[in-house]
Amino acid sequence: MSSAARTGFTDLGYGVGLRPPHYGHVLETRPAVDWFEAISENFLVAGGRPLHVLERVRADYPVVLHGVSLSIGSTDPLDRDYLSRLRQLAARIEAAWISDHLCWTGVGSHNLHDLLPLPYSEEALDHVAERVRRVQDALGRRIALENVSSYLTYCDSVLSEWDFLAALAERADCAILLDVNNVFVSAHNHGFDARAYLAAIPVERVVQFHLAGHSDHGTHLLDTHDHPVCDAVWELYAVAVQRFGALPTLIEWDDRIPAFDRLQAEAQRASALAAEVCGDHARRDATAPLAADHGA
Amino acid sequence: MLAETQQLLWRLITAPEGVAAALAADSDRGGTLRARLARTVRGDEKLDAAERLDIYANMYFFRILDVLKEHYPGVRALLGDVGFHNLITDYLLRHPPAHFSLREAGRHLPELLDEHATRALHPCLADLARFERALNDAFDASDAPALRAAALAALPQADWPNLRLALHPSVHLLASQWPVHTVRAAIDRGENSGAPEPEATWLCVWRDDLTVFHRAIGAGEFDRLQIISRGASFGAVCAHGSEAGSTDDTAQDVAAALARWLADGWLAA
Repeated sequence: MSSAARTGFTDLGYGVGLRPPHYGHVLETRPAVDWFEAISENFLVAGGRPLHVLERVRADYPVVLHGVSLSIGSTDPLDRDYLSRLRQLAARIEAAWISDHLCWTGVGSHNLHDLLPLPYSEEALDHVAERVRRVQDALGRRIALENVSSYLTYCDSVLSEWDFLAALAERADCAILLDVNNVFVSAHNHGFDARAYLAAIPVERVVQFHLAGHSDHGTHLLDTHDHPVCDAVWELYAVAVQRFGALPTLIEWDDRIPAFDRLQAEAQRASALAAEVCGDHARRDATAPLAADHGA
Repeated sequence: MLAETQQLLWRLITAPEGVAAALAADSDRGGTLRARLARTVRGDEKLDAAERLDIYANMYFFRILDVLKEHYPGVRALLGDVGFHNLITDYLLRHPPAHFSLREAGRHLPELLDEHATRALHPCLADLARFERALNDAFDASDAPALRAAALAALPQADWPNLRLALHPSVHLLASQWPVHTVRAAIDRGENSGAPEPEATWLCVWRDDLTVFHRAIGAGEFDRLQIISRGASFGAVCAHGSEAGSTDDTAQDVAAALARWLADGWLAA
């Protein structure tokens, strides 16, 4: 990694999300991908096939734990049981790192099982930064937080999403998982410039990219993870690689999941595109400016 | 402010008829939800605040509906898609998800069905849901080692009567007035058998290695497994029913049952 902020986040290469329809194929054929990302909550179970599969996959590949229920922005107390079990799972499989989302998923002890955006206010920034620090203490490691796709904004937001995310990473000393598709979707839905978003994110804080497909619902784009990565998102990915370097990149596909080869091909495309952007350099100079002539 | 915002959004996202209907109903009652939403969420020419929130409301409901369809395919088959949709609408009102895992979202469906109007249509539904929940619970139950025959045989026979037995964590017992397992078996064959005729049924669901199984068992065997679940000694299990004549099981039947339990991994080591 090119800076201290990236310490602990290994250069994993190009991976795909580990999903049940592919368990058999992955275990039997050990396909050529660099790493897998597992949804943390799916493996916070007592035993049985999920953990068995995860441990066998881990024997052959690096594994990252990616959560959807940390609810870092909720005003509910942090779920100490969840954090304890997550720490145990991460230790058990020697997870390369742990990530979750910059969002809230529930309140009043209820879980919406969705990733809701926060108001980008000073109050929310203070609240989330303090919770990230406590979570990192509880997990014993720095975490990465991902920007979410969103379909609403709040009247009391006083910061842009990118300024909020950048400030949070600095204040809480956490890393950023930059979901390029989510930047694209939210930029479309809220009418901001996706390239301006990328340009405002501190290079040294970004440790991973996500790529996924979305759906066009006319009035808005929806982050459905049920399509290939579209050309416009590939173009934005090239901009991101230009700015942040050829960071570990993951292909997400969660609905209408195709044969594993399709995901593998997407990961290979990401690898090829990053190589094309970076040339022979594994990582770009973190201080180099964002090229103005790339973009979606 | 942040807490109020989240509570407002949670209330509207989980409203059973959708955000617009919840706002209209609240306005009819003289409430202030519409004004509060307008002060909280921005609308624009493409989508107003309620429509933007409705995107989340739809995702909330349909994400959970999809998971419960997977967890309760038998219940869904008996009710049909519309009936199941309406059931889950009622369910989420009574039991909104409180656990970090979606796998737990449907945990209380059997309890709801115990008193739901659909019971009049299909009295077996609650037990069918209990059976399907047991299949799910067995799937990722703890990997505790099973007691096998060789390990039992290695113990001095004099120790057997006082040996405390325990069921494997994946074992679930279910008594029902209907053979609800036949509904699920038909689903797994790609068929819909409809609601079963009443028939006293005792079921054991368990996982051996990574595969979940179920089997219909006799009343005597069910009783013995139940007293094992309460921590009975091996001697008490063997003696159960023989004094009172409450079962017709012979000593040979009990021995055969024990051999099956050990072979199938129903007992914890």
